Amino acid sequence: MSADWEEIRRLAADFQRAQLSDTVQRLSERNCIEIVAKLIAEKQLDVVHTLDGKEYVTPSQITKEIKDELQIRGGRVNIVELQQVINVDLTHIESRANDLVKLDKDIQLVLGQLVDGNYLDQIAEEVNDKLQAAGQVTISELCKTYDLPGDFLKESFSLRLGRIIQGKIDESNRGVFYTEAFVAQHRARIRGLFTAITKPTPVSNMISIYGFQEHLLYSLLEELVNCGRLKGTVVGGRQDKAVFMPDIYAKTQSNWIDAFFKQNCYLEFDSLSRLGIPDPVGYIKKRYKSTHMLYLKSACIGQGIVDHVEASVEEAISSGSWLDIMPLLPSCLSQEDAGILLQQVIRTLNNSSSARVFGDTIVVSEKFISECANLFNKLMHHKAEKEMKSSPVFIVTEEDLKQAAILENEVLSKKDKKEERRKKATEGSGSTRTGGCGNAREIKIKKSKKKARKDEDDDESQTSYPGKPKEREAAFMSLEEIQDVLRKHAPDSPDELVIELSENLIRPLTKSYQEVVRSVFLSSTSSSSGASRKQTMKDFQEEVTSLYNNIRLFERGIKFFTDETQNNLAKHLLKTICTDITNIIFNFLAADFMMAAEDYTTITSEVRKKMLSKLQEEAKGPLTKLHSSLSGKSIEEFSSYVDSAADACGILMKKGDKKKERQIMFQHRHALIEQLKVTEDPALVLHLTSVLMFQLTTHCMLHAPGRCVPQIIAFLHTKIPEDQHKLLVNYQTLVVKQLIGNTKQKDEEDVDTMEDTQEGTEKGTDNIRKELQEMSPVIKDLVLRSRKSSMNDE
Amino acid sequence: MVDEATRRVVSEIPLLKTLASPRDKEVWVQRLKEEYQALIKYVENNKNADNDWFRLESNKEGTRWFGKCWYIHDLLRYEFDVEFDIPVTYPSTAPEIAIPELDGKTAKMYRGGKICLTEHFKPLWARNVPKFGLAHLMALGLGPWLAVEIPDLISKGLVEHKSK
Repeated sequence: MSADWEEIRRLAADFQRAQLSDTVQRLSERNCIEIVAKLIAEKQLDVVHTLDGKEYVTPSQITKEIKDELQIRGGRVNIVELQQVINVDLTHIESRANDLVKLDKDIQLVLGQLVDGNYLDQIAEEVNDKLQAAGQVTISELCKTYDLPGDFLKESFSLRLGRIIQGKIDESNRGVFYTEAFVAQHRARIRGLFTAITKPTPVSNMISIYGFQEHLLYSLLEELVNCGRLKGTVVGGRQDKAVFMPDIYAKTQSNWIDAFFKQNCYLEFDSLSRLGIPDPVGYIKKRYKSTHMLYLKSACIGQGIVDHVEASVEEAISSGSWLDIMPLLPSCLSQEDAGILLQQVIRTLNNSSSARVFGDTIVVSEKFISECANLFNKLMHHKAEKEMKSSPVFIVTEEDLKQAAILENEVLSKKDKKEERRKKATEGSGSTRTGGCGNAREIKIKKSKKKARKDEDDDESQTSYPGKPKEREAAFMSLEEIQDVLRKHAPDSPDELVIELSENLIRPLTKSYQEVVRSVFLSSTSSSSGASRKQTMKDFQEEVTSLYNNIRLFERGIKFFTDETQNNLAKHLLKTICTDITNIIFNFLAADFMMAAEDYTTITSEVRKKMLSKLQEEAKGPLTKLHSSLSGKSIEEFSSYVDSAADACGILMKKGDKKKERQIMFQHRHALIEQLKVTEDPALVLHLTSVLMFQLTTHCMLHAPGRCVPQIIAFLHTKIPEDQHKLLVNYQTLVVKQLIGNTKQKDEEDVDTMEDTQEGTEKGTDNIRKELQEMSPVIKDLVLRSRKSSMNDE
Repeated sequence: MVDEATRRVVSEIPLLKTLASPRDKEVWVQRLKEEYQALIKYVENNKNADNDWFRLESNKEGTRWFGKCWYIHDLLRYEFDVEFDIPVTYPSTAPEIAIPELDGKTAKMYRGGKICLTEHFKPLWARNVPKFGLAHLMALGLGPWLAVEIPDLISKGLVEHKSK
């Protein structure tokens, strides 16, 4: 029992003890974090919590851990990796790392990596091993291997150069380390190789063939060249196109050039560049500073050749011959170069007036040219005279005009040789023909021909070309002929010379030929003038007068008719005889200007117009009026103008007296009768008969066209006996029928109608023909008989 | 009935076996032993959980208990004397805990400062006779009462900290 109570007491004591024992002071995690955060905020505590939030770390602990990590990893650690190991925020690690780098000189921060001296020593040793093995090591290679920036490596290795790394760095290019042995080997190889070189060699070739280190090669080469061990120069700096030029080569080269120049007195640029001189002109200029050189396109020549050419040219000029300088020059000189040289020479000779250059290389003295021109003088006279005799001097025919135009063209298009040749071909046997016409005419023809686009230009130049545009152009000879003559004269002259010379000559020759022709013409006309001139004047006067009188008589006859017929007759008269008289007058005046036509009947109104434009002022007015009155209707008007025009021509128009008139009428009737006697054509028979009847009844001459015959017959109705008139009318109807039949037949043939109708008409026409044949003598008799009676009357 | 924390705390208190009142001389000793063991365990548990909130001791016979209890509110520790007697009908009847200081200050209290327990307490206790002991009484009775009443009383100004 007491034991129980004892136990109770003990339990009570236990209970008290339990109650009095310390309570465990517990903070919840939440509270803890808050407390620490508050402390950090109040800067009473400097700790950093880990990324998982389970621990707090002091900065010094971080530093320590970083150092440890660096040690473990052999002196190089990435900050990012540190962050994973230490497990705190990267910013804290970075700041601690920066502090560390500041505090510890041995540790460096490179590209986000901490690197300490030991590590650098270690890699320096590695590099040294590599260097000793390979002879050279480039920084860039190391950069790749160690993944560190080149500048940093260069710097840190420079410090260790000679201590850990046994070698040297290239002075000019600090990116490479060499061992002395390597450099020495290189030097020896370079020395040997470049000593052996005798011709210009691109350095890059050597590098690729012999595997030199480029930078080392250049620096060693420079050194060797500078100290005189290698005789030569490096041209082109330290680039790919650098070329090693051995002195011996340069020497040989210049020796060759000197020798060549001394011997030949010229240097061809091509051959120089073949020798490996990149800028021949510059080289020559530099080398022959003192010597006077003439630079051409493909070569330069010395004074010797120039002098020689000069002398030859001078001689050619003074001796009045020509000279091709090509044979005098070295064969390598082109035509163009020769031309340049020749021009130069002529300029220096300073008498360009006495010589001309043909075909670039040929110099011809003026004397020679004039000599050549003189060759033609005799020919010219000969030809001109022949021309005068053989053919009428100036026949205005299309053929001649064309010819003249072509020739003209040839002269003008000297430059265009192709065209010229083509034309020559087309011309073929283009013989000597005289051409003569006004310029205006020429152009018109050329335009109508539309030969080539070139013509447009030529036209322009042509119109402005001749000094006196009214002058006629007479071609002398074609180019070929001139060339032939020249060739005969100087058989040894080259073709070019002949061609150019002929081109040069054709113009003056043509001109002088025209003069010759004119003089020949004038002399011929003047020789026949004097008496003959008077004679022609008289003839002309008589002709005009007789025609004029005829017109007056015809006019009288016309007046018997009424309006319509009168008009028709007047027109016919104007168109025929009046035109003739006008033409005669024009032709007479034109003869003074050497444009007279041989046969005045060929003159058309256009030709008249042209003539008008050339006439002198005082003659122009009346003649213009005369010309225009031809196209009018009134005979009176015309005759008054003829009077004034005759005055202008200085001829006297004699008014015919009665006696003369009768004489003319008789002559006219006689002529008509003669014509009637021989004619067989029924229409003409009717025409002549009716006209004669008219004259017989009215005693007036009539000049009527065929279509006025019915009117004449109608007029005669009251004037002649009934039976005669009936006969005429019958005959007329037959003639008309026949004419209609003829035309019909023609139509039917064209249309090809039924056979029988054709036969019918044929029969009809046969009948009519028969009748006409029967009647013709009767009709003829009508007049011939009446003539007898009238003769009896008289 | 009771909150989860309380239930967990109570579950960790050892249950008693002996059904005895102070009158049953020998068996009471046995009961008292069990009471002490339960209390020790409870206090230890509390201390371990940083939840120590009372001091208690008894007379020699273990019939009268007295001590202190405290409550921390707004970082201030309010301490009260606490006392109770073991009724003769114990453990069928739960002892009445009294806090004499607070007598007349709150409605949840009988005359003489005996605290008014919740209506759940009695049936709970009755269901658990004789397994519940003094430790359970403290955990289920006084603890919750203090937690409810003291802040109320403080806010009403009926209880003031001693330093004031």
